[in-house]
Amino acid sequence: MILEVDGLKIHYSTRAGAVRAVDGASFAVPQGRIVGLVGESGCGKTTAVRAIMGVLAENGRRAGGRVVFKGQAIDEATTRKLLWRDIAYVPQSAMSSLDPVYTVGAQLVEVLTKRGNASRSAARARAAELFDLVGLSESRLADYPHQFSGGMRQRAAIAMALALKPSLLLADEPVTALDVIVQRQILDMLRTLQQRLRLSMVLVTHDISVVAYLCDDVVVMYAGQVIESGPVREVLARPRHPYTMGLRNAFPDLMSDALELVPIGGSPPDLSDPPPGCRFAPRCPFVLAACTTSAALMAGGGKQAHASACLRDDEALSLRKAAMDPATWQRSSNFAMS
Amino acid sequence: MAERADPVLPVRTGLRRAEAASAAQAGWPRLPVLRRMAAMPLRDPFAFTGLLIYLLFVLVALFADQLAPLDPLEILFTKAGKLAANVPPGLDFPLGTTNLGRDIYAQLVHGTRSALAVGLSAAIIVAIVGTVVGLVAGYFGGMVDAVLMRIADMALSLPFLPFVIVLTGFLGASTSNIVFAVALLLWPNSARVIRSQVLTLRERAYVEAARVTGASSWRILFVHIAPNILPLSFVYAAIAIGWAIITEASVSFLGFGDSESVSWGYMLQDAFSSQALSRGQYAWFVPPGVCIILVVVAGFFISRGYEEVFMPRLRGR
Amino acid sequence: MKLVLERFTHNALALLAVTTILFFMFRLMPGTPLAAFINENLNADQQQAMLEQFGLDRPMWQQYFIYLGNLLRGEFGLSFFQRRPVLTILLEVLPNSLILTLASLIIAYIFGVLAGAWLAWKRGSWIERVAVPAVLATRAAPEFWIGMVLLALLSFNAGWFPSGGASSPGVAYANDWQRIASWDYLHHLALPVLTLALYLQGLPLLLMRSNMLEVMHEEFVTMARMKGFSEWRIVINHAARNALLPVVTAFALGVGLSMGGNVVIETVFSWPGIGRLLVQAVSVHDYPLAQGAFLMIALVLALMNFVADLLYMVLDPRVSHGRKG
Repeated sequence: MILEVDGLKIHYSTRAGAVRAVDGASFAVPQGRIVGLVGESGCGKTTAVRAIMGVLAENGRRAGGRVVFKGQAIDEATTRKLLWRDIAYVPQSAMSSLDPVYTVGAQLVEVLTKRGNASRSAARARAAELFDLVGLSESRLADYPHQFSGGMRQRAAIAMALALKPSLLLADEPVTALDVIVQRQILDMLRTLQQRLRLSMVLVTHDISVVAYLCDDVVVMYAGQVIESGPVREVLARPRHPYTMGLRNAFPDLMSDALELVPIGGSPPDLSDPPPGCRFAPRCPFVLAACTTSAALMAGGGKQAHASACLRDDEALSLRKAAMDPATWQRSSNFAMS
Repeated sequence: MAERADPVLPVRTGLRRAEAASAAQAGWPRLPVLRRMAAMPLRDPFAFTGLLIYLLFVLVALFADQLAPLDPLEILFTKAGKLAANVPPGLDFPLGTTNLGRDIYAQLVHGTRSALAVGLSAAIIVAIVGTVVGLVAGYFGGMVDAVLMRIADMALSLPFLPFVIVLTGFLGASTSNIVFAVALLLWPNSARVIRSQVLTLRERAYVEAARVTGASSWRILFVHIAPNILPLSFVYAAIAIGWAIITEASVSFLGFGDSESVSWGYMLQDAFSSQALSRGQYAWFVPPGVCIILVVVAGFFISRGYEEVFMPRLRGR
Repeated sequence: MKLVLERFTHNALALLAVTTILFFMFRLMPGTPLAAFINENLNADQQQAMLEQFGLDRPMWQQYFIYLGNLLRGEFGLSFFQRRPVLTILLEVLPNSLILTLASLIIAYIFGVLAGAWLAWKRGSWIERVAVPAVLATRAAPEFWIGMVLLALLSFNAGWFPSGGASSPGVAYANDWQRIASWDYLHHLALPVLTLALYLQGLPLLLMRSNMLEVMHEEFVTMARMKGFSEWRIVINHAARNALLPVVTAFALGVGLSMGGNVVIETVFSWPGIGRLLVQAVSVHDYPLAQGAFLMIALVLALMNFVADLLYMVLDPRVSHGRKG
């Protein structure tokens, strides 16, 4: 495992109290694999990933848990040496992530010389190499960020991330802001690069189809916690947590017959005051009384290939059948609204 | 692009954030805005202090005769019959007397009236003209907008103080001329910013809804749009008070002020030309300046408070 | 380029508007229509020359165009009381105003930028809570009052600085450059500059602080942190570089605005500049000189507005380099 996150807790202190954005999340990234971190907005996936980079908002802090990278525990203080040299980040919106007053080439050279100890000329050569790697023309190095189109900017951001040859890439919704065709191009490029450079990747997204397309493993987060994880094919074909089952229904599959899009009724809990027990209980069509009082641990403690945090994990087969029926979600939707 | 008057506050009023704030207001925000405006001083200690200062000066102005029974322009004599000139501060004269034997304290207290009169009248004119022009230009657009903005540009390209000097120098030195000149040159800034905001609000859903249900343009303008930019009017009104007072003081200092009324600017001019500086008569020229500072700073605080009402900052900045 | 032309036209038109307003204002003065350029102080020849040069016997609209033509050629008329060409008088004192303005602004802006950035760094501390209102107080004080207090304290009381003027009596210089570079001149310049700088620093300080606070929350600053750059590099190379843009523009605008506002400072310190000239001319109803001084100030204002526009275009790559897509 190149990266292990164990019971990570990130809390924000606000006027309304502490918001527990990430509350005991655990997952692992095997060397050389692409792990998708999926969940709806506000589930804590971005916060978790940025916390690994040691970058939190002023009022945020790590309230518990460990992050282990290549066998060493890291935190905000110790991460600095590794930043960009071993762990790099691909942002969601490349436009705002580049300084508007410097050319993209200058910013690449800056990283290469200041963090990478390269000479200026070596840096310039390497910058050209990087652009070539991501399919951008070398002449573009002299352009400013605002002169790039969306897809090109994302390529530039990826080039920037790969500059110092990291072993782990954390990509935060790298294709969300792009149109479908460009999305496919970038995802293909990521796959190629990952294989060529033998990278490990964490891909944060709310779009299951991206996960299905690109990832080897998937980790599903809900309300600050990990509720299911495992190999992608396995989890998507045979989900074991009701939330994952619901997620699957919410995304149309172009290949199969047009199924009804079934949303999960209700909305995620308020993270400054989360409910005791399972956080998905208020919206779950299979909820039991026990669910609201005790939270389930990941079956197998998260080490099993395919694990899920549901008390009714052993009934997964029958639950799955029921989940395929839109009526199940209709009932729970009404229930969740009341 | 030139920023007239006090760029401290309008510069921070970024239009990007105005967009975000407007987006946060949905539906019919009329009452909440007015309520927030009224409640603002309670939440902002600086604005509260500013209001207290204003209140203090208003009270002083109202009760000037009681607080300082001596006539500010009356030439006083000592018991021995000599001119009570340059008497140092003491029990009889808290701030001493001028070189012509006038009570400085009385001048300071009565000067409050002139200051408030100038400040408030200028502020009212600037607020009304700026708001109306901003509303009309922003809402109706087209030719009306173009013409109004050209006029605003012309007003902005006039050098402020020189223009006031020339105007009062030739039209005569009266307080109303000064107020007129100040208002003439201050309204463009507020009109411009209000206009930008109206342009944004024009596209809001509830305005569309009102239009669809047949409300007339004027109704939409005054009932739906105007209340939302009201805090902005107050922002600029508060700034205008300060600027008007400083301008009046400057103009008086240069000798073009109203010689009939006693204002703080008059006191400073008097002190300067009577060599109070070389005599070290700090009690003469320091208090008027301090009073001006207090009133203007109060205006700054209050306008920052209303700016916050208008555009709530994401997390205390 | 099109943008440059557009801004130039805009500012030129503004200046034209000012000139027109001035033209009509002076015509409406009490007195005969000729009063704007002719006065019994001038001798008969001079009066006749003015009559012809400004076409004072012609219809108003003709006079207007003659007037504009004259202005472009630098003919501002004759000063009633000095009986010399107005332009000559103006050019004599212009350097003094420019030096006062530029020196004060440069000092004010250097201090303001550094202090503003530092204050932004001190976010949330008690220093910030005290400093911001204190800076606001410096902006709330009338410039001339600050000057008066400093004059009383440092000149009359302590005797460190002269109490006015630009030179000590009885001192002569070979040429203008020597005069300006002399210690005596600088000694006289010190207090006015100190006063103005004190008054002016508030704007760049608060502006820089505000910009820094905003920029530090931008995504590219967070990204710079994620890259592992030192705090120093992030603050100076990235945050400050972005935060400075509006400040540079403000500086250019400040020069234009200051020329007008210096009127009071020049009066307090008897500094022989354009502002003081304007005040004197207005007091004695020396119309041509007053017009000339006013126009000169307006010209500098319009010019600096244009320079500010140019700077903004040049310094912000988003404007200077268009979209390519």
